[in-house]
Amino acid sequence: MAAVQGDASDEMLMVRYQRGERKAFVELVRRHNRAVYNFVLRQLRVPALAEDVTQDVFMRLVQNAAEFKHEARFLTWLYTIARNLCIDQLRKLSHRRHASLDQPQGDPNNAQLLGDTVSDPNPHASAEHSALSSEVRSSIVKAVDSLPEDQREVFLLREVASLPFRDIAEITGVGENTVKSRMRYALDRLKDALSDFEEYARALR
Amino acid sequence: MDCEKFDRIVLDLLYEELDELTSAAARRHMEHCARCRAIGSGLRATREVGALPLVEAPEGLELRILQAEEQAAQLLPIGKRLGRGLSLLASYAMRPQVSMAALLMLMIGSSLFFLRAQPGDREHVRVTERGVPETDNEAVTIIPKKVEAPEPARVAPHPVAAAAPSPRVEEVAQRRERAPEPKPEPVAQAAPAQLAAPAGGAQRGGAALGALSDDKESEGSNEPSTDSDASYDAAMAAYRDGRYSEAQRRFDEIASLGGPHAANAALYGAQALRRVSGCPTAAPRFEEVHSRYPGSVGSDAAWQAADCYRSLGELARARQNYEQLSADPSYKTRAKEAIAELDQRVADQEQAARRATAAAAATAAAAKGKAPAAASPAKPAPSGN
Repeated sequence: MAAVQGDASDEMLMVRYQRGERKAFVELVRRHNRAVYNFVLRQLRVPALAEDVTQDVFMRLVQNAAEFKHEARFLTWLYTIARNLCIDQLRKLSHRRHASLDQPQGDPNNAQLLGDTVSDPNPHASAEHSALSSEVRSSIVKAVDSLPEDQREVFLLREVASLPFRDIAEITGVGENTVKSRMRYALDRLKDALSDFEEYARALR
Repeated sequence: MDCEKFDRIVLDLLYEELDELTSAAARRHMEHCARCRAIGSGLRATREVGALPLVEAPEGLELRILQAEEQAAQLLPIGKRLGRGLSLLASYAMRPQVSMAALLMLMIGSSLFFLRAQPGDREHVRVTERGVPETDNEAVTIIPKKVEAPEPARVAPHPVAAAAPSPRVEEVAQRRERAPEPKPEPVAQAAPAQLAAPAGGAQRGGAALGALSDDKESEGSNEPSTDSDASYDAAMAAYRDGRYSEAQRRFDEIASLGGPHAANAALYGAQALRRVSGCPTAAPRFEEVHSRYPGSVGSDAAWQAADCYRSLGELARARQNYEQLSADPSYKTRAKEAIAELDQRVADQEQAARRATAAAAATAAAAKGKAPAAASPAKPAPSGN
Protein backbone atom coordinates (compact mmCIF):
# COMPACT_ATOMS: atom_id res chain seq x y z
CA MET A 1 0.00 0.00 0.00
CA ALA A 2 1.79 3.03 -1.30
CA ALA A 3 -0.05 5.49 0.88
CA VAL A 4 0.96 3.68 4.01
CA GLN A 5 4.56 3.44 2.91
CA GLY A 6 4.72 7.10 2.01
CA ASP A 7 4.75 10.23 4.10
CA ALA A 8 1.72 9.45 6.20
CA SER A 9 2.03 10.71 9.75
CA ASP A 10 2.29 8.33 12.67
CA GLU A 11 -1.16 9.37 13.77
CA MET A 12 -2.65 8.62 10.38
CA LEU A 13 -0.96 5.22 10.32
CA MET A 14 -2.37 4.45 13.72
CA VAL A 15 -5.87 5.38 12.57
CA ARG A 16 -5.45 3.13 9.57
CA TYR A 17 -4.35 0.33 11.81
CA GLN A 18 -7.46 0.90 13.88
CA ARG A 19 -9.44 0.33 10.70
CA GLY A 20 -7.68 -2.97 10.20
CA GLU A 21 -4.81 -2.08 7.90
CA ARG A 22 -2.08 -4.27 9.29
CA LYS A 23 0.51 -2.78 6.96
CA ALA A 24 0.15 0.48 8.79
CA PHE A 25 1.29 -1.25 11.96
CA VAL A 26 4.24 -2.75 10.11
CA GLU A 27 5.26 0.71 9.04
CA LEU A 28 4.99 2.02 12.59
CA VAL A 29 7.19 -0.77 13.90
CA ARG A 30 9.71 -0.16 11.14
CA ARG A 31 9.86 3.52 11.97
CA HIS A 32 10.15 3.34 15.73
CA ASN A 33 11.40 0.00 16.96
CA ARG A 34 15.05 1.10 16.97
CA ALA A 35 14.48 4.28 18.96
CA VAL A 36 12.21 2.52 21.42
CA TYR A 37 14.76 -0.24 21.86
CA ASN A 38 17.55 2.28 22.56
CA PHE A 39 15.39 4.20 25.01
CA VAL A 40 14.53 1.01 26.88
CA LEU A 41 18.09 -0.25 26.68
CA ARG A 42 19.53 2.93 28.22
CA GLN A 43 16.93 2.82 30.93
CA LEU A 44 17.29 -0.86 31.83
CA ARG A 45 20.86 -1.39 30.63
CA VAL A 46 20.13 -5.07 29.99
CA PRO A 47 19.95 -5.82 26.25
CA ALA A 48 17.90 -9.00 26.45
CA LEU A 49 15.45 -7.42 28.82
CA ALA A 50 15.30 -4.32 26.63
CA GLU A 51 14.38 -6.49 23.64
CA ASP A 52 11.52 -8.11 25.51
CA VAL A 53 10.27 -4.82 26.86
CA THR A 54 10.39 -3.28 23.39
CA GLN A 55 8.22 -6.10 22.12
CA ASP A 56 5.86 -5.54 25.04
CA VAL A 57 5.64 -1.86 24.18
CA PHE A 58 4.32 -2.63 20.73
CA MET A 59 2.01 -5.32 22.04
CA ARG A 60 0.48 -2.80 24.43
CA LEU A 61 -0.01 -0.56 21.46
CA VAL A 62 -1.84 -3.36 19.67
CA GLN A 63 -4.04 -4.15 22.65
CA ASN A 64 -4.97 -0.51 23.24
CA ALA A 65 -5.18 0.58 19.64
CA ALA A 66 -8.91 1.32 19.90
CA GLU A 67 -8.26 3.88 22.63
CA PHE A 68 -5.99 5.97 20.49
CA LYS A 69 -7.52 9.27 19.48
CA HIS A 70 -6.59 10.91 16.22
CA GLU A 71 -5.95 14.20 17.97
CA ALA A 72 -3.32 12.65 20.27
CA ARG A 73 0.37 12.55 19.48
CA PHE A 74 1.43 9.02 18.62
CA LEU A 75 4.98 9.40 19.91
CA THR A 76 3.80 10.76 23.24
CA TRP A 77 1.53 7.78 23.60
CA LEU A 78 4.20 5.29 22.51
CA TYR A 79 6.86 6.58 24.90
CA THR A 80 4.43 6.86 27.76
CA ILE A 81 3.88 3.12 27.36
CA ALA A 82 7.62 2.51 27.09
CA ARG A 83 8.39 4.61 30.15
CA ASN A 84 5.75 2.87 32.25
CA LEU A 85 7.06 -0.55 31.26
CA CYS A 86 10.61 0.54 32.07
CA ILE A 87 9.55 1.76 35.49
CA ASP A 88 7.88 -1.61 36.15
CA GLN A 89 11.03 -3.45 35.13
CA LEU A 90 13.29 -1.20 37.17
CA ARG A 91 11.17 -1.90 40.21
CA LYS A 92 11.50 -5.61 39.62
CA LEU A 93 15.24 -5.24 39.07
CA SER A 94 15.63 -3.27 42.24
CA HIS A 95 14.75 -6.41 44.13
CA ARG A 96 17.56 -8.21 42.45
CA ARG A 97 21.15 -7.44 42.02
CA HIS A 98 21.60 -4.70 39.50
CA ALA A 99 23.12 -5.74 36.30
CA SER A 100 26.40 -3.98 35.83
CA LEU A 101 27.90 -2.93 32.59
CA ASP A 102 30.47 -5.67 32.98
CA GLN A 103 27.98 -8.39 33.81
CA PRO A 104 27.45 -10.86 30.98
CA GLN A 105 23.90 -10.82 29.60
CA GLY A 106 21.83 -13.58 28.11
CA ASP A 107 23.43 -16.76 27.01
CA PRO A 108 26.70 -17.14 28.89
CA ASN A 109 28.24 -18.70 25.82
CA ASN A 110 27.28 -15.76 23.70
CA ALA A 111 27.68 -13.14 26.35
CA GLN A 112 27.97 -9.50 25.38
CA LEU A 113 28.55 -6.55 27.65
CA LEU A 114 26.46 -3.42 27.31
CA GLY A 115 29.58 -1.34 27.33
CA ASP A 116 30.92 -3.40 24.45
CA THR A 117 27.69 -3.03 22.55
CA VAL A 118 27.97 0.73 22.36
CA SER A 119 31.70 1.13 22.24
CA ASP A 120 32.55 -1.58 19.79
CA PRO A 121 32.59 -0.16 16.25
CA ASN A 122 30.57 -3.04 14.89
CA PRO A 123 27.95 -2.71 12.12
CA HIS A 124 25.20 -2.19 14.73
CA ALA A 125 26.71 1.09 15.89
CA SER A 126 25.34 4.30 14.51
CA ALA A 127 27.14 5.41 11.39
CA GLU A 128 27.14 9.08 12.27
CA HIS A 129 29.26 8.41 15.29
CA SER A 130 31.80 6.21 13.62
CA ALA A 131 34.19 9.11 13.37
CA LEU A 132 34.29 9.44 17.13
CA SER A 133 36.81 7.43 19.01
CA SER A 134 35.54 4.47 20.92
CA GLU A 135 36.89 6.13 24.02
CA VAL A 136 34.67 9.13 23.54
CA ARG A 137 31.64 6.95 22.91
CA SER A 138 32.35 4.94 25.98
CA SER A 139 32.65 8.09 28.04
CA ILE A 140 29.32 9.35 26.70
CA VAL A 141 27.56 6.11 27.56
CA LYS A 142 29.07 6.05 31.01
CA ALA A 143 28.14 9.66 31.58
CA VAL A 144 24.54 8.96 30.56
CA ASP A 145 24.33 5.82 32.64
CA SER A 146 25.64 7.69 35.64
CA LEU A 147 22.93 10.32 35.39
CA PRO A 148 20.22 10.35 38.04
CA GLU A 149 17.18 8.48 36.85
CA ASP A 150 14.98 11.54 36.27
CA GLN A 151 17.72 13.37 34.34
CA ARG A 152 18.56 10.31 32.26
CA GLU A 153 14.92 9.81 31.42
CA VAL A 154 14.59 13.36 30.14
CA PHE A 155 17.89 13.17 28.30
CA LEU A 156 16.89 9.96 26.51
CA LEU A 157 13.44 11.22 25.56
CA ARG A 158 15.04 14.34 24.10
CA GLU A 159 18.06 12.79 22.40
CA VAL A 160 16.84 9.31 21.48
CA ALA A 161 13.13 9.83 20.94
CA SER A 162 13.60 13.42 19.67
CA LEU A 163 10.54 14.58 21.58
CA PRO A 164 10.05 18.29 22.24
CA PHE A 165 10.21 19.48 25.84
CA ARG A 166 6.46 19.99 25.95
CA ASP A 167 5.80 16.34 25.14
CA ILE A 168 8.46 15.17 27.59
CA ALA A 169 6.73 17.17 30.29
CA GLU A 170 3.47 15.43 29.41
CA ILE A 171 5.05 11.98 29.49
CA THR A 172 6.93 12.47 32.72
CA GLY A 173 4.15 14.38 34.44
CA VAL A 174 6.28 17.36 35.48
CA GLY A 175 6.43 20.95 34.30
CA GLU A 176 8.25 21.98 31.17
CA ASN A 177 10.67 24.14 33.13
CA THR A 178 11.52 21.17 35.33
CA VAL A 179 12.18 19.12 32.23
CA LYS A 180 14.51 21.79 30.88
CA SER A 181 16.27 22.06 34.18
CA ARG A 182 16.88 18.31 34.26
CA MET A 183 18.09 18.42 30.69
CA ARG A 184 20.48 21.23 31.53
CA TYR A 185 21.98 19.22 34.39
CA ALA A 186 22.35 16.20 32.15
CA LEU A 187 24.13 18.22 29.48
CA ASP A 188 26.43 19.77 32.06
CA ARG A 189 27.39 16.29 33.26
CA LEU A 190 28.02 15.17 29.74
CA LYS A 191 30.06 18.28 29.09
CA ASP A 192 32.24 17.50 32.07
CA ALA A 193 32.72 13.97 30.79
CA LEU A 194 33.76 15.24 27.37
CA SER A 195 35.87 18.19 28.36
CA ASP A 196 39.14 16.26 28.19
CA PHE A 197 38.63 15.02 24.63
CA GLU A 198 40.03 16.63 21.54
CA GLU A 199 36.77 16.27 19.64
CA TYR A 200 35.02 18.43 22.15
CA ALA A 201 37.73 21.07 21.94
CA ARG A 202 37.40 21.10 18.16
CA ALA A 203 33.66 21.48 18.39
CA LEU A 204 34.08 24.43 20.69
CA ARG A 205 36.11 26.38 18.13
CA MET B 1 17.26 40.25 25.65
CA ASP B 2 19.25 39.94 28.85
CA CYS B 3 21.32 37.11 30.32
CA GLU B 4 18.54 35.97 32.62
CA LYS B 5 16.14 35.47 29.76
CA PHE B 6 18.87 33.86 27.70
CA ASP B 7 19.40 31.27 30.44
CA ARG B 8 15.70 30.43 30.31
CA ILE B 9 15.60 29.88 26.57
CA VAL B 10 19.06 28.53 25.87
CA LEU B 11 17.84 24.94 25.66
CA ASP B 12 15.03 25.91 23.31
CA LEU B 13 17.63 27.64 21.21
CA LEU B 14 19.85 24.58 21.27
CA TYR B 15 17.05 22.25 20.15
CA GLU B 16 15.54 24.79 17.75
CA GLU B 17 12.22 25.07 19.51
CA LEU B 18 12.19 28.87 19.45
CA ASP B 19 10.29 31.06 17.06
CA GLU B 20 12.35 32.99 14.56
CA LEU B 21 12.17 36.36 16.32
CA THR B 22 13.26 35.06 19.72
CA SER B 23 15.92 32.92 18.13
CA ALA B 24 17.36 35.92 16.29
CA ALA B 25 17.25 37.99 19.48
CA ALA B 26 19.12 35.25 21.36
CA ARG B 27 21.77 35.06 18.68
CA ARG B 28 22.21 38.82 18.72
CA HIS B 29 22.60 38.68 22.47
CA MET B 30 25.24 35.99 22.16
CA GLU B 31 27.21 38.18 19.80
CA HIS B 32 27.51 40.88 22.43
CA CYS B 33 27.63 38.83 25.64
CA ALA B 34 30.75 36.69 26.24
CA ARG B 35 29.16 34.78 29.10
CA CYS B 36 26.12 33.71 27.16
CA ARG B 37 28.19 33.05 24.08
CA ALA B 38 30.34 30.63 26.11
CA ILE B 39 27.25 28.91 27.51
CA GLY B 40 25.66 28.59 24.10
CA SER B 41 28.77 27.25 22.38
CA GLY B 42 29.50 24.83 25.24
CA LEU B 43 26.03 23.34 25.03
CA ARG B 44 26.16 23.17 21.25
CA ALA B 45 29.54 21.38 21.34
CA THR B 46 28.29 19.00 23.99
CA ARG B 47 25.30 18.14 21.89
CA GLU B 48 27.34 17.66 18.73
CA VAL B 49 30.05 15.53 20.25
CA GLY B 50 28.09 13.93 23.02
CA ALA B 51 25.19 12.67 20.97
CA LEU B 52 24.33 9.31 22.37
CA PRO B 53 25.39 6.56 19.96
CA LEU B 54 22.35 4.49 19.04
CA VAL B 55 22.59 0.76 18.62
CA GLU B 56 20.65 -1.13 16.05
CA ALA B 57 17.72 -3.10 17.30
CA PRO B 58 18.51 -6.80 17.51
CA GLU B 59 17.91 -8.76 14.37
CA GLY B 60 14.59 -10.48 14.47
CA LEU B 61 13.02 -8.01 16.93
CA GLU B 62 10.82 -6.48 14.27
CA LEU B 63 9.77 -9.92 13.06
CA ARG B 64 8.99 -11.05 16.57
CA ILE B 65 6.89 -7.97 17.20
CA LEU B 66 4.88 -8.54 14.01
CA GLN B 67 4.35 -12.20 14.79
CA ALA B 68 3.19 -11.32 18.27
CA GLU B 69 0.81 -8.78 16.82
CA GLU B 70 -0.63 -11.37 14.45
CA GLN B 71 -1.19 -13.79 17.27
CA ALA B 72 -2.70 -11.09 19.45
CA ALA B 73 -5.12 -10.17 16.69
CA GLN B 74 -6.23 -13.76 16.34
CA LEU B 75 -6.60 -14.23 20.06
CA LEU B 76 -8.51 -11.03 20.51
CA PRO B 77 -11.89 -11.93 22.06
CA ILE B 78 -15.02 -11.27 20.05
CA GLY B 79 -16.26 -8.76 22.58
CA LYS B 80 -13.09 -6.75 22.29
CA ARG B 81 -13.22 -6.96 18.52
CA LEU B 82 -16.78 -5.65 18.56
CA GLY B 83 -15.73 -2.97 21.01
CA ARG B 84 -12.94 -1.97 18.71
CA GLY B 85 -15.36 -1.83 15.80
CA LEU B 86 -17.83 0.26 17.74
CA SER B 87 -15.07 2.51 18.92
CA LEU B 88 -13.96 2.89 15.36
CA LEU B 89 -17.47 3.74 14.21
CA ALA B 90 -17.96 6.17 17.07
CA SER B 91 -14.71 7.94 16.41
CA TYR B 92 -15.61 8.16 12.75
CA ALA B 93 -19.07 9.47 13.52
CA MET B 94 -17.64 12.12 15.80
CA ARG B 95 -15.47 13.56 13.11
CA PRO B 96 -16.28 17.21 12.36
CA GLN B 97 -17.09 16.56 8.72
CA VAL B 98 -19.68 13.96 9.62
CA SER B 99 -21.18 16.22 12.27
CA MET B 100 -21.42 19.15 9.89
CA ALA B 101 -22.98 17.03 7.19
CA ALA B 102 -25.55 15.68 9.65
CA LEU B 103 -26.35 19.19 10.84
CA LEU B 104 -26.75 20.42 7.29
CA MET B 105 -29.11 17.58 6.43
CA LEU B 106 -31.11 18.31 9.57
CA MET B 107 -31.44 21.97 8.67
CA ILE B 108 -32.53 21.22 5.13
CA GLY B 109 -35.03 18.64 6.30
CA SER B 110 -36.55 20.87 8.94
CA SER B 111 -36.78 23.76 6.49
CA LEU B 112 -38.63 21.65 3.98
CA PHE B 113 -40.97 20.36 6.66
CA PHE B 114 -41.89 23.78 8.01
CA LEU B 115 -42.26 25.33 4.59
CA ARG B 116 -44.65 22.60 3.58
CA ALA B 117 -46.59 22.83 6.81
CA GLN B 118 -47.65 26.45 6.45
CA PRO B 119 -49.07 27.00 2.99
CA GLY B 120 -52.07 28.88 4.35
CA ASP B 121 -50.04 31.84 5.44
CA ARG B 122 -49.14 32.53 1.88
CA GLU B 123 -52.66 32.31 0.58
CA HIS B 124 -54.03 35.22 2.59
CA VAL B 125 -51.86 38.01 1.47
CA ARG B 126 -53.63 41.31 1.61
CA VAL B 127 -52.52 44.17 -0.52
CA THR B 128 -53.59 47.62 0.44
CA GLU B 129 -53.47 50.11 -2.35
CA ARG B 130 -52.28 53.43 -1.15
CA GLY B 131 -53.22 56.56 -2.97
CA VAL B 132 -55.67 57.35 -5.72
CA PRO B 133 -55.13 56.35 -9.30
CA GLU B 134 -54.35 59.07 -11.71
CA THR B 135 -57.15 60.30 -13.92
CA ASP B 136 -57.20 62.03 -17.23
CA ASN B 137 -60.29 63.98 -16.35
CA GLU B 138 -59.94 67.31 -18.08
CA ALA B 139 -62.17 68.97 -15.55
CA VAL B 140 -59.44 68.84 -12.96
CA THR B 141 -57.61 72.04 -13.34
CA ILE B 142 -54.39 72.25 -11.55
CA ILE B 143 -53.88 75.38 -9.62
CA PRO B 144 -50.33 76.63 -9.45
CA LYS B 145 -48.85 75.63 -6.21
CA LYS B 146 -48.56 78.28 -3.60
CA VAL B 147 -45.36 77.20 -1.96
CA GLU B 148 -42.36 75.27 -3.01
CA ALA B 149 -43.20 71.77 -4.07
CA PRO B 150 -42.99 69.24 -1.33
CA GLU B 151 -41.01 66.14 -1.91
CA PRO B 152 -42.87 63.49 -3.85
CA ALA B 153 -42.17 61.02 -1.11
CA ARG B 154 -44.21 63.10 1.27
CA VAL B 155 -47.13 63.19 -1.10
CA ALA B 156 -47.35 59.60 -2.07
CA PRO B 157 -48.09 57.82 1.18
CA HIS B 158 -51.43 59.39 1.96
CA PRO B 159 -53.09 61.31 -0.80
CA VAL B 160 -56.37 61.40 1.02
CA ALA B 161 -54.91 63.22 3.92
CA ALA B 162 -53.99 65.90 1.55
CA ALA B 163 -55.19 69.25 0.81
CA ALA B 164 -58.12 71.48 1.25
CA PRO B 165 -60.19 72.20 -1.76
CA SER B 166 -59.04 74.86 -4.10
CA PRO B 167 -61.51 77.34 -5.59
CA ARG B 168 -61.29 76.13 -9.14
CA VAL B 169 -61.66 72.58 -8.16
CA GLU B 170 -64.58 73.42 -6.00
CA GLU B 171 -66.16 75.01 -9.01
CA VAL B 172 -65.66 71.83 -10.91
CA ALA B 173 -67.29 69.92 -8.14
CA GLN B 174 -70.21 72.24 -8.12
CA ARG B 175 -70.55 71.91 -11.84
CA ARG B 176 -70.65 68.19 -11.44
CA GLU B 177 -73.26 68.49 -8.81
CA ARG B 178 -75.45 70.34 -11.20
CA ALA B 179 -74.80 67.94 -13.98
CA PRO B 180 -76.48 64.54 -13.88
CA GLU B 181 -74.00 62.38 -12.06
CA PRO B 182 -73.88 58.87 -13.48
CA LYS B 183 -71.75 57.59 -10.65
CA PRO B 184 -68.46 59.01 -11.77
CA GLU B 185 -65.24 57.34 -11.12
CA PRO B 186 -63.97 57.79 -7.60
CA VAL B 187 -61.36 60.29 -8.44
CA ALA B 188 -63.71 62.55 -10.32
CA GLN B 189 -66.13 62.52 -7.47
CA ALA B 190 -63.54 62.76 -4.83
CA ALA B 191 -62.84 65.73 -2.75
CA PRO B 192 -61.22 68.60 -4.48
CA ALA B 193 -58.05 68.02 -2.68
CA GLN B 194 -57.88 64.53 -3.99
CA LEU B 195 -58.59 65.67 -7.46
CA ALA B 196 -55.74 68.03 -7.24
CA ALA B 197 -53.37 65.63 -5.63
CA PRO B 198 -53.47 62.16 -7.09
CA ALA B 199 -50.92 59.66 -6.04
CA GLY B 200 -47.50 60.68 -7.10
CA GLY B 201 -48.76 63.87 -8.67
CA ALA B 202 -46.29 66.15 -7.13
CA GLN B 203 -46.17 68.47 -10.05
CA ARG B 204 -49.89 68.43 -10.53
CA GLY B 205 -50.43 69.08 -6.87
CA GLY B 206 -50.73 72.81 -7.28
CA ALA B 207 -52.51 74.59 -4.53
CA ALA B 208 -53.68 71.34 -3.14
CA LEU B 209 -50.13 70.37 -2.53
CA GLY B 210 -49.55 73.72 -1.01
CA ALA B 211 -52.27 72.96 1.41
CA LEU B 212 -50.86 69.54 1.82
CA SER B 213 -47.56 70.90 2.92
CA ASP B 214 -49.22 72.69 5.78
CA ASP B 215 -51.30 69.70 6.51
CA LYS B 216 -48.19 67.61 6.69
CA GLU B 217 -46.79 69.99 9.22
CA SER B 218 -49.59 69.12 11.52
CA GLU B 219 -49.43 65.53 10.51
CA GLY B 220 -45.85 65.19 11.51
CA SER B 221 -44.54 62.43 9.34
CA ASN B 222 -45.49 59.65 7.00
CA GLU B 223 -46.85 57.26 9.49
CA PRO B 224 -48.17 53.86 8.60
CA SER B 225 -51.86 53.31 8.44
CA THR B 226 -53.49 53.59 11.86
CA ASP B 227 -56.99 53.72 13.24
CA SER B 228 -57.21 57.43 12.57
CA ASP B 229 -56.15 56.82 9.02
CA ALA B 230 -58.84 54.21 8.64
CA SER B 231 -61.50 56.52 10.03
CA TYR B 232 -60.40 59.28 7.75
CA ASP B 233 -60.41 56.93 4.79
CA ALA B 234 -63.93 55.82 5.65
CA ALA B 235 -65.11 59.41 5.89
CA MET B 236 -63.53 60.24 2.56
CA ALA B 237 -65.12 57.18 1.03
CA ALA B 238 -68.51 58.35 2.24
CA TYR B 239 -67.82 61.80 0.84
CA ARG B 240 -66.82 60.38 -2.50
CA ASP B 241 -69.90 58.22 -2.64
CA GLY B 242 -72.15 61.19 -2.04
CA ARG B 243 -73.16 60.11 1.45
CA TYR B 244 -72.60 63.60 2.73
CA SER B 245 -74.51 63.25 5.98
CA GLU B 246 -72.45 60.26 6.98
CA ALA B 247 -69.32 61.95 5.75
CA GLN B 248 -70.09 65.05 7.77
CA ARG B 249 -70.66 63.00 10.90
CA ARG B 250 -67.45 61.09 10.43
CA PHE B 251 -65.40 64.18 9.65
CA ASP B 252 -66.80 65.96 12.67
CA GLU B 253 -65.84 63.05 14.89
CA ILE B 254 -62.32 63.04 13.53
CA ALA B 255 -62.03 66.79 13.95
CA SER B 256 -63.29 66.65 17.51
CA LEU B 257 -60.78 63.96 18.42
CA GLY B 258 -57.88 65.94 17.07
CA GLY B 259 -54.89 64.30 15.52
CA PRO B 260 -53.13 64.59 12.22
CA HIS B 261 -56.32 64.63 10.15
CA ALA B 262 -58.29 67.02 12.33
CA ALA B 263 -57.79 70.13 10.20
CA ASN B 264 -58.71 68.50 6.91
CA ALA B 265 -61.56 66.65 8.55
CA ALA B 266 -62.99 69.94 9.83
CA LEU B 267 -62.77 71.44 6.37
CA TYR B 268 -64.33 68.43 4.68
CA GLY B 269 -66.95 68.30 7.38
CA ALA B 270 -67.91 71.89 6.56
CA GLN B 271 -68.03 71.02 2.88
CA ALA B 272 -70.21 68.02 3.56
CA LEU B 273 -72.48 70.22 5.63
CA ARG B 274 -72.72 72.61 2.71
CA ARG B 275 -73.81 69.72 0.53
CA VAL B 276 -76.38 68.68 3.06
CA SER B 277 -77.73 71.96 4.39
CA GLY B 278 -76.49 74.57 2.02
CA CYS B 279 -74.50 77.70 2.50
CA PRO B 280 -76.58 79.39 5.21
CA THR B 281 -75.52 76.64 7.60
CA ALA B 282 -72.11 75.92 6.14
CA ALA B 283 -70.77 79.46 5.99
CA PRO B 284 -70.48 79.85 9.78
CA ARG B 285 -68.80 76.42 9.87
CA PHE B 286 -66.25 77.54 7.29
CA GLU B 287 -65.59 80.63 9.35
CA GLU B 288 -65.08 78.48 12.40
CA VAL B 289 -62.59 76.30 10.56
CA HIS B 290 -60.86 79.41 9.29
CA SER B 291 -60.43 80.81 12.75
CA ARG B 292 -59.48 77.49 14.31
CA TYR B 293 -56.91 76.28 11.82
CA PRO B 294 -54.54 78.92 10.59
CA GLY B 295 -52.53 78.11 7.53
CA SER B 296 -53.65 76.67 4.25
CA VAL B 297 -56.66 74.83 5.67
CA GLY B 298 -57.90 78.02 7.27
CA SER B 299 -57.37 79.93 4.06
CA ASP B 300 -59.27 77.30 2.13
CA ALA B 301 -62.08 77.55 4.64
CA ALA B 302 -62.12 81.33 4.30
CA TRP B 303 -62.32 80.94 0.53
CA GLN B 304 -65.18 78.51 0.86
CA ALA B 305 -66.96 80.85 3.25
CA ALA B 306 -66.54 83.70 0.82
CA ASP B 307 -67.97 81.54 -1.90
CA CYS B 308 -70.93 80.82 0.27
CA TYR B 309 -71.40 84.50 0.98
CA ARG B 310 -71.33 85.21 -2.71
CA SER B 311 -73.94 82.60 -3.36
CA LEU B 312 -76.01 84.04 -0.57
CA GLY B 313 -75.58 87.51 -1.96
CA GLU B 314 -73.68 88.76 1.03
CA LEU B 315 -71.10 90.41 -1.12
CA ALA B 316 -69.74 92.65 1.59
CA ARG B 317 -68.82 89.71 3.76
CA ALA B 318 -67.47 87.85 0.78
CA ARG B 319 -65.33 90.85 -0.08
CA GLN B 320 -64.09 90.99 3.48
CA ASN B 321 -62.89 87.38 3.25
CA TYR B 322 -61.25 87.96 -0.10
CA GLU B 323 -59.42 90.93 1.28
CA GLN B 324 -58.11 88.80 4.08
CA LEU B 325 -57.05 86.15 1.61
CA SER B 326 -55.23 88.65 -0.53
CA ALA B 327 -52.62 88.71 2.22
CA ASP B 328 -52.05 84.99 1.68
CA PRO B 329 -49.48 84.50 -1.07
CA SER B 330 -51.20 81.44 -2.39
CA TYR B 331 -54.57 83.19 -2.69
CA LYS B 332 -53.37 86.70 -3.43
CA THR B 333 -54.00 86.71 -7.16
CA ARG B 334 -57.22 84.83 -7.02
CA ALA B 335 -58.51 86.93 -4.15
CA LYS B 336 -57.81 90.11 -6.07
CA GLU B 337 -59.55 88.72 -9.10
CA ALA B 338 -62.47 87.73 -6.93
CA ILE B 339 -62.58 91.22 -5.40
CA ALA B 340 -62.49 92.76 -8.84
CA GLU B 341 -65.23 90.45 -9.93
CA LEU B 342 -67.21 91.35 -6.86
CA ASP B 343 -66.69 95.02 -7.46
CA GLN B 344 -67.76 94.58 -11.01
CA ARG B 345 -70.74 92.67 -9.85
CA VAL B 346 -71.57 95.34 -7.34
CA ALA B 347 -71.10 98.00 -9.96
CA ASP B 348 -73.30 96.08 -12.34
CA GLN B 349 -75.85 95.70 -9.66
CA GLU B 350 -75.70 99.37 -8.85
CA GLN B 351 -75.96 100.28 -12.48
CA ALA B 352 -78.82 97.93 -12.88
CA ALA B 353 -80.36 99.43 -9.83
CA ARG B 354 -79.85 102.89 -11.20
CA ARG B 355 -81.34 101.87 -14.48
CA ALA B 356 -84.15 100.27 -12.73
CA THR B 357 -84.65 103.40 -10.69
CA ALA B 358 -84.48 105.58 -13.75
CA ALA B 359 -86.83 103.36 -15.56
CA ALA B 360 -89.15 103.43 -12.67
CA ALA B 361 -88.91 107.18 -12.50
CA ALA B 362 -89.54 107.49 -16.18
CA THR B 363 -92.41 105.21 -15.92
CA ALA B 364 -93.74 107.16 -13.04
CA ALA B 365 -93.27 110.43 -14.91
CA ALA B 366 -95.00 109.09 -17.94
CA ALA B 367 -97.79 107.94 -15.85
CA LYS B 368 -98.02 111.36 -14.28
CA GLY B 369 -98.26 113.13 -17.63
CA LYS B 370 -100.96 110.91 -18.88
CA ALA B 371 -103.21 111.41 -15.90
CA PRO B 372 -104.16 115.23 -16.45
CA ALA B 373 -104.73 114.55 -20.03
CA ALA B 374 -107.11 111.97 -19.15
CA ALA B 375 -108.81 114.35 -16.72
CA SER B 376 -109.43 117.08 -19.42
CA PRO B 377 -109.29 115.36 -22.67
CA ALA B 378 -111.43 117.82 -24.69
CA LYS B 379 -109.50 120.94 -23.89
CA PRO B 380 -109.07 122.62 -27.28
CA ALA B 381 -105.89 124.22 -28.23
CA PRO B 382 -105.97 127.98 -28.45
CA SER B 383 -106.47 128.99 -31.92
CA GLY B 384 -106.03 132.19 -33.74
CA ASN B 385 -104.51 134.10 -30.79
